[in-house]
Amino acid sequence: MNTYNPLVALVIFFGLSLLAYLLLRPHKGWIWLIKKGSHSNDKIIVEDILKRLYHNENAGKHLNVNDIVRTMRQNDKMVIESIDVMVNQGLIRMEGDVVKLTKLGSEYALRIIRAHRLWERYLAEKTGFSKSEWHELAERKEHELSMDETNRLAYKLGNPQYDPHGDPIPTNTGKMAKLKGVPVSELQVNTIGRIINIKDKPDIIYKQILAENIHIGSIIRVVEKSATRIVFHSEGEAFKLAPILAGNITVSILEKDLSYEEDVSRLNILKKNETAKIIGISKEIRGESRRRLLDLGFVKGAEVSIDLLNPLGEPKAYLIKGTSIALRNNQASKILIKK
Amino acid sequence: MMQKNIDNIIAQSNDLRWQIGDEFHDNLAEGIYADAAEIVKASVHKPNENNRLRLDAKIDKIITSKTWGFPLMFLILAVVLWLTIVGANYPSSMLADLLLETIHPALKGYASTLGIPWWLDGFLIDGVYLAVAWVIAVMLPPMAIFFPLFTLLEDFGYLPRVAFNLDHLFKLSGAHGKQALTMSMGFGCNAAGVVATRIIDSPRERLIAIITNNFSLCNGRWPTQILIATIFIGAVVPSSFAGIASLGAVIGIAVLGICFMFLVSWALSKTVLKGEVSTFNLELPPYRPPRFWKTLYTSLIDRTLIVLWRAIVFAAPAGAVIWLISNIYVGDVSVAAWLIQSLDGFGFLLGLNGVILVAYIVAIPANEIVIPTILMLTVLVTGVSGGEGAGVMFELDSVNATGDLLRAGGWTLLTAVNLMLFSLLHNPCSTTIYTIYKETKSAKWTVVASILPVILGFVVTFLVAQVWRLLM
Repeated sequence: MNTYNPLVALVIFFGLSLLAYLLLRPHKGWIWLIKKGSHSNDKIIVEDILKRLYHNENAGKHLNVNDIVRTMRQNDKMVIESIDVMVNQGLIRMEGDVVKLTKLGSEYALRIIRAHRLWERYLAEKTGFSKSEWHELAERKEHELSMDETNRLAYKLGNPQYDPHGDPIPTNTGKMAKLKGVPVSELQVNTIGRIINIKDKPDIIYKQILAENIHIGSIIRVVEKSATRIVFHSEGEAFKLAPILAGNITVSILEKDLSYEEDVSRLNILKKNETAKIIGISKEIRGESRRRLLDLGFVKGAEVSIDLLNPLGEPKAYLIKGTSIALRNNQASKILIKK
Repeated sequence: MMQKNIDNIIAQSNDLRWQIGDEFHDNLAEGIYADAAEIVKASVHKPNENNRLRLDAKIDKIITSKTWGFPLMFLILAVVLWLTIVGANYPSSMLADLLLETIHPALKGYASTLGIPWWLDGFLIDGVYLAVAWVIAVMLPPMAIFFPLFTLLEDFGYLPRVAFNLDHLFKLSGAHGKQALTMSMGFGCNAAGVVATRIIDSPRERLIAIITNNFSLCNGRWPTQILIATIFIGAVVPSSFAGIASLGAVIGIAVLGICFMFLVSWALSKTVLKGEVSTFNLELPPYRPPRFWKTLYTSLIDRTLIVLWRAIVFAAPAGAVIWLISNIYVGDVSVAAWLIQSLDGFGFLLGLNGVILVAYIVAIPANEIVIPTILMLTVLVTGVSGGEGAGVMFELDSVNATGDLLRAGGWTLLTAVNLMLFSLLHNPCSTTIYTIYKETKSAKWTVVASILPVILGFVVTFLVAQVWRLLM
């Protein structure tokens, strides 16, 4: 017993740890891959193709078989087989080289989109997953939800109209609200609008927009526009975006004199000894957190001031309705105030 | 006709729903709150509270200031812990004298005059009674000091300010500032710390606080740490520094526990718990003079006695098991000796030994009886003279004698260091496990909270042992 070599023991230990990591790592571990492989992949490919076709047809573009094979991140042969199966099932039809959705196919696609957007809404309202994870989680979940489950989910969420990115959710009869907006990149200087949609694709651009702290429901005013950048004011801050980012943000244009107040700012910028009135809570605070803030009295018209600063910078304590409530900066930044 | 009407109404309501839009619920809620606020403004008149507010503001200014906030906090925690550990020594030894030195022999004598068979007397008096008595003697005094002190600070309004000051640090590891309080409560008793997580209203942060509470060194483990540090760590340095070195080692272990708490909190919030809902807000209530007697009463009844009762309920069967494994023979070795032998190899790999592992298995109900069990088992397997017989837990009066016995059992400095680490990083006691289940109502989180620390303990002691053996 006393004659073993500690070095060997260490090597064995690290070897086993590495093995466990490779096996169990979420989504990339071998156990996950085996589990995923055993699931029928065909259904997922079919549904992904339907979605792709639907989005492209909505944008007025038509895809041929080559386009589909190229854009799907799957084995080429499997994609082509799936397309054959889909033609046989009457989900798509070929018009020469172009692939088109049949009525059946576009209904199916809408069901998947409905499941996807409802699940995003669910993640936003009822769980703590961060914004940047919603899309990817919904990409997986949309293939698992049956129609019945989707309807129950919609009922539980109160049949919402939009997903958290501002995209309309199709109803179970396939109706969908129209987005009547203009991309920020096409706005003229001095236009005022409310952000109604932030595209969650492509991922890189979406994450950059998130990092800028721009959110749905904010009212913006464009102050400068050039070929390289667009500058707009919103809630007391100035944002400078490249046109490619601005193109992924949609606003609905508001009448000029309608309720745009230049001196609106965010609670986290309030200074000691200043008093402000609350204008509202941003759409970004959802579900449980939103209700809690409303319960505590952070409602339209309430007066708020700083009660205590923190030795570490945050949270700060705010005096609201005679009570001292501490909030972190990321929450305070989503409460709109007027000084 | 009827059916057509209903269909029309449904269709119309659907249309209206789309026209109203998504913000409808929110506007309604905000409107109701705003109306309520207006009504309050018009009808509720408050007396002028300026004077009190000014005093509150003054206290707040000191307590949350950059210069004084943190030193004050550590000072208060240190004083509370010192009062608990040192102050509990006297009543503890009195209780031990009474329950272990006086009543136990008396019971034994009584039993023998009644002619009770040795196995029944051993099972009941040496097993069940002794374990329960031990838990009461070690556990009751520190809890009876710690909880009232803590509750007084809470009642005064100081503790929410601690959460306020420290929140940023906890935010970095994905936790809630109030976890600072449940963690400190854990220094008294993990089961009470787990109950205290009720003050955290956000589901994710509450689970984090529950799972990581075990990393606070509890009252049942402080004496173990102090004893082992005094015997082994104090002995490596010149005797004039022995006291400081062993104190430093114990504090080091407690601080290491806090580091593990932050680390595990961070890992949990980034992995298994990231889907749980997370909210934050912290109310800072006005200061008020603590209601001394009421606080004393509730903290003794609600916290101390309930926890003590749970501990007794779990300790009694543990005492029975300890006595049984030492007295039931399979072939010509007792179950305990057989267990120790089979765990010796694994124990050695971790820099521990079979005795320690067996002691930690049978003493899951209460950390307080780990040392007495280790001593009893050491005597059992080494055959060194001492102790009071198989299955009878004991402690020695002198620290030196305890050290000699442990060294006779093959203990080295490595064994001591790893025991201190393992005492910090092992499964919560069964009282805490039961409390975690009651609080989370989830078998899954209870299992995670129980298994996670013990795996960490295995890994840490293993790594320390290998590195130690390579270097020494």
